[in-house]
Amino acid sequence: MTNTYIESFPAEAKVVRAAFYSSFLALAIGGLFGIIQTLHRTGYYRFMDSADYYTVLTAHGVLLAITFTIFFLVGVFTWATTTSLDRPVEDIRFTWAWYGLMVVGTVLTAIPIFAGFTDSEMSASVLFTFYAPLQGHPLFYFGLVLFVVGTWLAGVDWFRSWWAWKQEHPDKRIPLPTFMVLTTTLMWYIATLGVAAAILLFLLPWSLGLVESVNPLLTRTLFWFFGHPVVYFWLMPAYMMWYVMLPKISGGKLFSDPLARVVFVLFLILSVPTGIHHQYLDPGIAEGFKFIAMTNTMFLLLPSLLTAFTVVASMEHGARQRGGTGYLGWLKALPWRDPVFAGMALAGLMFAAAGFSGMINAGMNINYLVHNTFWVVGHFHLTVGTAVALTFMAVTYWFLPQVTGKALWNRSVALGQVVLWFVGMTFMSNAMHRGGLLGIPRRTAEPQYDGFEFEAAVGSVGELDAQIALGGALLTLSLVLFFANVVGTALNSRSDDLPANEYADTLSGPSDAPLVLDNLKLWTAIAIVLVIFAYSFPLLSIIERGGLFGPELTELPVHIGLGLEYLWATTISTVTTASETVVALGAEVNW
Amino acid sequence: MSQTAEHEASNETSEHVREIGHDEFDPIGTLTLIGIYFLILVFLWFFMYFVEFLGNDPTVVSGTLVFLATGARSA
Amino acid sequence: MNIHTYEKLWLVAAMVLIVGFIATITYGSVGLGITMVGDQQDTVEPTELDDERFSDPRVAQVGENEYEAYVTAQMFSFQPDPIEVPEDSEVTFYVTSRDVIHSFSLVGTNVNTMVIPGEVAEMTVEFDEPDEYGVVCNEYCGPNHHNMEGMVYVVPEDEFDLTELDAEAPGEVETGDDIDVTATVENRLLDPIETTVTLEIGNETVSEDVTIDGGETDETTFTVDSAQLGEGDHEWTVTVDDHTDSWTVTVADELEDDDADDDADEESNENTDAGDDADDGENGTEDETDTDETESDASGGDGE
Repeated sequence: MTNTYIESFPAEAKVVRAAFYSSFLALAIGGLFGIIQTLHRTGYYRFMDSADYYTVLTAHGVLLAITFTIFFLVGVFTWATTTSLDRPVEDIRFTWAWYGLMVVGTVLTAIPIFAGFTDSEMSASVLFTFYAPLQGHPLFYFGLVLFVVGTWLAGVDWFRSWWAWKQEHPDKRIPLPTFMVLTTTLMWYIATLGVAAAILLFLLPWSLGLVESVNPLLTRTLFWFFGHPVVYFWLMPAYMMWYVMLPKISGGKLFSDPLARVVFVLFLILSVPTGIHHQYLDPGIAEGFKFIAMTNTMFLLLPSLLTAFTVVASMEHGARQRGGTGYLGWLKALPWRDPVFAGMALAGLMFAAAGFSGMINAGMNINYLVHNTFWVVGHFHLTVGTAVALTFMAVTYWFLPQVTGKALWNRSVALGQVVLWFVGMTFMSNAMHRGGLLGIPRRTAEPQYDGFEFEAAVGSVGELDAQIALGGALLTLSLVLFFANVVGTALNSRSDDLPANEYADTLSGPSDAPLVLDNLKLWTAIAIVLVIFAYSFPLLSIIERGGLFGPELTELPVHIGLGLEYLWATTISTVTTASETVVALGAEVNW
Repeated sequence: MSQTAEHEASNETSEHVREIGHDEFDPIGTLTLIGIYFLILVFLWFFMYFVEFLGNDPTVVSGTLVFLATGARSA
Repeated sequence: MNIHTYEKLWLVAAMVLIVGFIATITYGSVGLGITMVGDQQDTVEPTELDDERFSDPRVAQVGENEYEAYVTAQMFSFQPDPIEVPEDSEVTFYVTSRDVIHSFSLVGTNVNTMVIPGEVAEMTVEFDEPDEYGVVCNEYCGPNHHNMEGMVYVVPEDEFDLTELDAEAPGEVETGDDIDVTATVENRLLDPIETTVTLEIGNETVSEDVTIDGGETDETTFTVDSAQLGEGDHEWTVTVDDHTDSWTVTVADELEDDDADDDADEESNENTDAGDDADDGENGTEDETDTDETESDASGGDGE
């Protein structure tokens, strides 16, 4: 007797499964590029030209930070709304449409990136941040736009479900998972306005030759308007899993539903007006604006610190229900042999460490020490690379049976996989943080210089390189085990003995939460006011100083050379191919 | 508050040995853990700011406050 | 709303952390005077950079122990490179980019800024002891990003000068004519310097002591009899402290054609240009110091 997701929502399970598989494909390619970079940077094994390193890095960043995380997110959020509202999506064709749009966007973005490996004139080795005046092929920007529009439509889908549900349940509180989906989506709508403006008003017309130049500081600021909240966008599904899955898997209940709502409201209102903390060392932005961004950023620590308490307390509740005792002895009573639990708990532990390096990054003048050094890379390999990625991989072991109806291929391999990831990332990110304090820069193919060497007070650069290479190797091995389990599970036959599709109950339930918490219009309005407060003066000042379209820029040896006709030809053919792929995929997942 | 914390395990997991309600649950373990985390954060913050950062001279200062900065550093 | 006492406690602790962090940073700004790169400087045109700071990237003295360093970053170098400043000095860096976004970051220090085309980053830094710092670009700027590096040397006060040397002489003279070698020495420091201008030509060495006031330029002319050198090519070198400038003069029995004089002028002009051309991206204003000494010795031997 089972009651899995695929039995309750067979049509939605297919979309969720497709989103997960898309995300895993990005993870596989991005992970492969990760180990290539690790070996290249440290000098252990260099098989390609160092100029190609930056193409690899662009693909690694875009595929992992954008494609992997967000495809997984849309899968989780679709699961969360349908499960917690207990109703199917309003129109499954619409659901497939936004999924298809995201696939097309990804493919269009990937084409010019991967063309960078060939002799073709097309390329987009502009890294994940695509700072002008570096210029990518127009397809790169166009694909990003389609991808983001796909996520916007996904948000519409979740809102439609909620609106329809509200008609039928006018007096009920929004179920917690849906509440998390809606607040995160609203945050995403506000945040993506920045990148939409940067691309549609400036970068895309510029890459097509319609405008002559851009203001590099303006597009960079608009990027970070989006670039910081995007980290919360990919973090929120992990938070949701910690709130609604981890307590249950620990054998307990969520400690506090009201505080979980407070946390997500805080993320909605504080995520966006903080982006300037990525620009502490930018000339052209006044110190006062940087200070405001810092204050906002520091207060953004609050929801994460609250989360730490609530989630750990929920785990403790589980441990004590399982017979755990003592101040710390209860930790032993937790189900450490369960890969879903172990992965999420280790991810949370890593996030505690990441929280610390994040606090340093949030500090204004201390940024001189760490800005653009390897420290930052260490930081986000703990956040997106572990807190998010490891949580996603761990919950995959719970989700796969739910969306395929098949038992997990091998739980021991899964447990080994999550532990390996934790150990590998410990080595790698520790060495990255320490290297950053020595001044080793991020984003460079060969951090070995002619005129000087990096001096380590403790250890040596060689030792750090060894740790990074070892960590990278362990992470790669961990990925191989993960994909073995994904493929192994897909090849299993259907099982009737699977856990039910449920999430955690609460100790302190929604009835304890003030009604105002569910007033999404109010929080959105506050969020917008804060954004206006934090951004309008800096943006106006940047435009007043440098002009809307900036100064005349040096002609760069950029790689367009193909013109509009080619662009449209490629676009049309790609869209056709991609939609065929989607259809094929849709057909395939029907088995 | 006088209710017993022990209940017969009735649901999902086999390791589930008791049911603890909202009012009986004091997350003292969480408070312990997070207290340790707090201390680590405070220590590391001071270490990073006053040893790693301020010890990483020279630093960008404003022209007029240079004397003050050097005075403070050498003090 | 029902919040557990422990969680309230943690809420307070979290707020203490947050306020404490902000207070620490504020103390750094207000108490220690740590200043952020900001909007102090007006914007510039990255393609032109024709203001007097960036058309000639260099170190300039602006006060007793105060210097300004005008630095440009471009794919994939910094100018000037190396940057030399004296110990116990307060140096304000003005850094801008000619093309894409770079950074200017002194390794192992807190001197670190983004370099954005159109914007000028201003950073005032105190250098106490003689030292040397590597400079990296830590923002990806193109396929050779990893080769973009520079050096900052903080040198002992008595080894520091801002002397510009430029020497000129005809490229070709007729045997028996005098060769005038003119050394133009500019002292860009504010204080006067006492130094010696030395000319080596053939196996002859002549020198003259000069005193040059701050900001002034001195011209020293040495006259050499070409007959004594004899027919052939003669390398000459003018030295002032550790700056040198050298070229070759040809002594011929009979000048081949009437244009010879013009050619000679052109050659000596070329020599001057090489020194002044800030755009060549190699060594900037310090070009003159690149002299191959063995070559000069060999030509001296020739003269015998």
